[in-house]
Amino acid sequence: MAKYAMVIDLERCVGCRACMEACKVENDTPQAVFWMYVFRFEEGRYPNTRVWFLPRPCMHCDNAPCVKVCPVGARYKRPDGLVATDWERCIGCRYCEVACPYGVNYFNWKAPEKNYYLDWKDRDLGPVTHGATPPYKNPDLEKPYGPERRRIAGGGHLKGVIEKCTFCVHRVEKGQTTACAQACPVFAIQFGDLEDPNSTVSRLLKKRPHFRLLEEAGTQPRVFYLGGHPPGGEVRQIEGVKARV
Amino acid sequence: MGVKLTRRTFLKGAAALTAFVALGRLLDGRLNTLVSTGPPSPSSAAGEQWVPTTCWIGKQDCGMLARVVDGRVVTLEGNPAHPRNRGTLCPKGVAQIMALYDPNRVKTPLIRTNEKGVPGRFRPASWEEALTLVAEKIKEVRAKDPKLILWQKGRSKGGAIYDDAFVKTIGATKVGHGTYCADAGLRAAEYTIGPRGGAHPDFRHTRYLLSWGWNLTNAGGNKLCFITWNQQFMEARERGMKVVHIDPRLRPAGPFADEWLPIRPGTDLALALALCHALIAQGTIDREYLKKYTNAPFLVKEDGLFLRVGDKEQVWDLKSKALKPFDAQDLDPALEGEFTVDGARVKPAFQLFKEHVARYTPEWAAEVCGLPAEQVRRVARELAENAMIGSTIVLEGVTLPYRPVSMMFYHMSQQELGFQACRAMFILFMLLGAIEAVGGVRVDFTWKVDSNYEALERVKVKDPPYDYTLKDSKFFPINSVNPGMIAKMMLDPQKYQVDKVPEMAILHMVNPVVSFTDQPLFLEAYKRFKFVVALDPWLSRTADLFADVVLPAATLEKYEGPLGATDQYTDATAFRLPVMEPLYQSKGELDIYLDLCEAAGLLYGKGGYLDHLNKELGLKDPYKLDLNAKPTVREIFDRWARSQGLAEGIAYFEKNGVWVKGPFSPKKYYGYAQSPPFGGIRHRLYGESLLRLQQEMQAKGAERVYWQDYTPFPTWREPTMWKSPPQYDLTLISYKMIEFKQSRSSQIPLLAELAPQQRLAMNPAAARARGIRDGDEVWVESHNALTGETRRVKVKVELTEAIRPDVVGMPHHYGEVARHPWAKGQGPTPNTLFFAGEGYVTNTNDNSFHVRVRVYKA
Repeated sequence: MAKYAMVIDLERCVGCRACMEACKVENDTPQAVFWMYVFRFEEGRYPNTRVWFLPRPCMHCDNAPCVKVCPVGARYKRPDGLVATDWERCIGCRYCEVACPYGVNYFNWKAPEKNYYLDWKDRDLGPVTHGATPPYKNPDLEKPYGPERRRIAGGGHLKGVIEKCTFCVHRVEKGQTTACAQACPVFAIQFGDLEDPNSTVSRLLKKRPHFRLLEEAGTQPRVFYLGGHPPGGEVRQIEGVKARV
Repeated sequence: MGVKLTRRTFLKGAAALTAFVALGRLLDGRLNTLVSTGPPSPSSAAGEQWVPTTCWIGKQDCGMLARVVDGRVVTLEGNPAHPRNRGTLCPKGVAQIMALYDPNRVKTPLIRTNEKGVPGRFRPASWEEALTLVAEKIKEVRAKDPKLILWQKGRSKGGAIYDDAFVKTIGATKVGHGTYCADAGLRAAEYTIGPRGGAHPDFRHTRYLLSWGWNLTNAGGNKLCFITWNQQFMEARERGMKVVHIDPRLRPAGPFADEWLPIRPGTDLALALALCHALIAQGTIDREYLKKYTNAPFLVKEDGLFLRVGDKEQVWDLKSKALKPFDAQDLDPALEGEFTVDGARVKPAFQLFKEHVARYTPEWAAEVCGLPAEQVRRVARELAENAMIGSTIVLEGVTLPYRPVSMMFYHMSQQELGFQACRAMFILFMLLGAIEAVGGVRVDFTWKVDSNYEALERVKVKDPPYDYTLKDSKFFPINSVNPGMIAKMMLDPQKYQVDKVPEMAILHMVNPVVSFTDQPLFLEAYKRFKFVVALDPWLSRTADLFADVVLPAATLEKYEGPLGATDQYTDATAFRLPVMEPLYQSKGELDIYLDLCEAAGLLYGKGGYLDHLNKELGLKDPYKLDLNAKPTVREIFDRWARSQGLAEGIAYFEKNGVWVKGPFSPKKYYGYAQSPPFGGIRHRLYGESLLRLQQEMQAKGAERVYWQDYTPFPTWREPTMWKSPPQYDLTLISYKMIEFKQSRSSQIPLLAELAPQQRLAMNPAAARARGIRDGDEVWVESHNALTGETRRVKVKVELTEAIRPDVVGMPHHYGEVARHPWAKGQGPTPNTLFFAGEGYVTNTNDNSFHVRVRVYKA
């Protein structure tokens, strides 16, 4: 059984946010929703300033608080490590959003047709997109996945339902890597199987010092960071993107 | 070279390498990192295909694969086979999928019905009507003088097919954007070293890098762009390369600067000269290189001109203790000293340089540049230590000098002293012998001496009347051609002694009123064009205010090329291929130009567009275009591919996207590896012809502001902007953001969402002193030190400790597109505050992006 994890190299990340965009286009997330978010940080005082960047997807924790609190079992942990959200079962109570210390859950306040940047019902687009909203809508997101056959690829983005990073389950099950890892111009994001000692993620973790976010919370994330340091009280966020939770 | 994948491998359990990635030689083995993890699934669903193409937004045409399901593009991913991006994309590449479908694109040709200078009232027209109208105007103006048609580009993605073939067919005056880009550095490179470009490192071998104004985390660099340079940078850094970032802001370097020199804007020339001083004082210079491959040993007379016997420059040979021609065999020419020849005192150019930089001490530079003197000294020491002067390395059997010190500079050249600053920076690396050595400074992809190396030496200042580009004029003998100067000239042709002003403008993917400096100037000048036609996917602000006709251009839905695809080490070519039929009634630019030439009677026969396409594309028999039959665009490129020896023609690219020809051999690559080295040219430490030009300009009555920087050695003077009154106590600089690209992206909602509004970057100490807090709205007011004009814009402040207290910064990109819901309220462009013209251009007519400002609460 695979044991998926993500390894992010903070000594490579240039903070370009290609991963945020790739995630958004792959997973059709609505406006102001960012399953992958990249923090841009500043520390210190001129001229001893430091600038650095931190990509933050869902941690897919082994001891996930969100899984514990879901009253209907819509949020569950798969044997391969992915923490999934069954959007057919989710009742939108937002308890997972409260429980998660990483802030990765997004609640859909609006119906999707109202929340995708532009009016895609434009007459002239019809023959090409057949009214798809957004026009690049990914046909893979509505299907069921896993041996459990549950709808967990985030499709629909229905009003009243929670969504978050799925580790691109619809890609992983096809043998592809996550969209963020695919796009990253400097290969700072790696995704793979920790059960395989020769996988990139395994070899990186063996070779380089690493940390996880909020280790003290006991959540046991599956996302590891190489180099850098956890953001402490001294970091200031710069160039923040307005995201709506 | 086999594939050597260290540290990282493909995703275990992923689909096996598909055809896109399987060609081992594509990967070149040197990249110490993973190349792509996700080729398309081998079990593609029915109705799904992956169409190779290239990114339309950026500068370097990264390879892309479009996933198309039932005729609809669902996602864009990087093409793993393309050397420039190796399967990855920057945020713009990903987000352009929304640009493709944008219902706010111009859907039909538009014809203006109201006056200019105000938002346009356009009526939709058929292609036939619009092209007929434009063709008539072309014929009309050509009958007077074809040069009165100004073809202005912002970005052309087909030099051969647009800039060359189309422009030559029309006979138009071609004006680029280089003066707003990096051309001062290009002129410095062409003049000093030979090839054309700014400077980039031989990343595979360098160990010490001066990131000189390089916006590593947001923008490009010399020749190539974000993705390629960053990939090579990371590998070099992981090998231990040290990075010194020279910039008023730290943000561009992210966490990657080992040392930050927060330099005062406009003083890079002073720093470069001080580093030269320090190297000479340390004695750490490559004397052999200077003697053999530069004009450093050439003897200079007291009048500043070279001593010549016949036509030949002379040196003092230390072996024979006699005067000898510089190219005699078996010489040891003197670099220092003073000699008497026929009663005249002469000195080697290097001796003069040594004397010239004697006063440019690190302490002096510290004062001018606002840097600690010790930092300047330390960089000079480290450059010398890392340069390993005298060492060699063997690459593929060729022994070459090894000088692993380098720099990356590009846009920082566009400041008032930019030409001489870049000359000084090249001279710095000449002293180390690192030009075109292994690990050192490179300018172009392979060694190629640009025609300007000779041409700039031979410029003659002509008598008026001058061409409206001011070519060969007493104002700018070396002339990067500046649309801002053309605009100034249009408002006062007599001042510039021009008698024929342009009548018609063809705008090729350009937005002058927002992208070029001095917005009020362009708003005035563009009223003077009798006819303006814009080719653009959106209604730019320029087109909205001034276009008579707008022709909707396609984005990714077209054939375009051939496109360079090299990453500096691998030779490759790519094409933009259509991911779908053009949306709405848009057309690819080549389609537009073919139709336009046909309507204007300029398509067929000798001298027609088809004839020029044959020439500029280098089509060979039997694949040349028939001069009397109108081809499809696909057919043109099919013939090109066959002319190149690809038996499948364009189908090769339709299948693979990119044609990788293999690695460049060091013999083709390094200037030092040529036979003879550098093709036998001498690098110009001493710019004798610059002195001659200065004298010619003076003789023709040019004012000091034009000739003062035509000096044989880079010479420090205070920038003109420092003459502004003391209340203008801050300097405004500008920069690029990774989210946007020039004038074609800030309306794309996916990107605009990341950075929806203009912000002024300001140091907290400077803000506190002015009673300004984070998020406050302020006025930024600029001042022109020569004319006294002031401009101001209102903008919100974002505080940052990563900027000098006496500097404020504003990015470009905003407010570019008219009438787009996502472009509303984005805020001002710094181009409203920057000026054009005297005091704000280099001596080579390159525009400055510096100005003195004051900032106060709104």
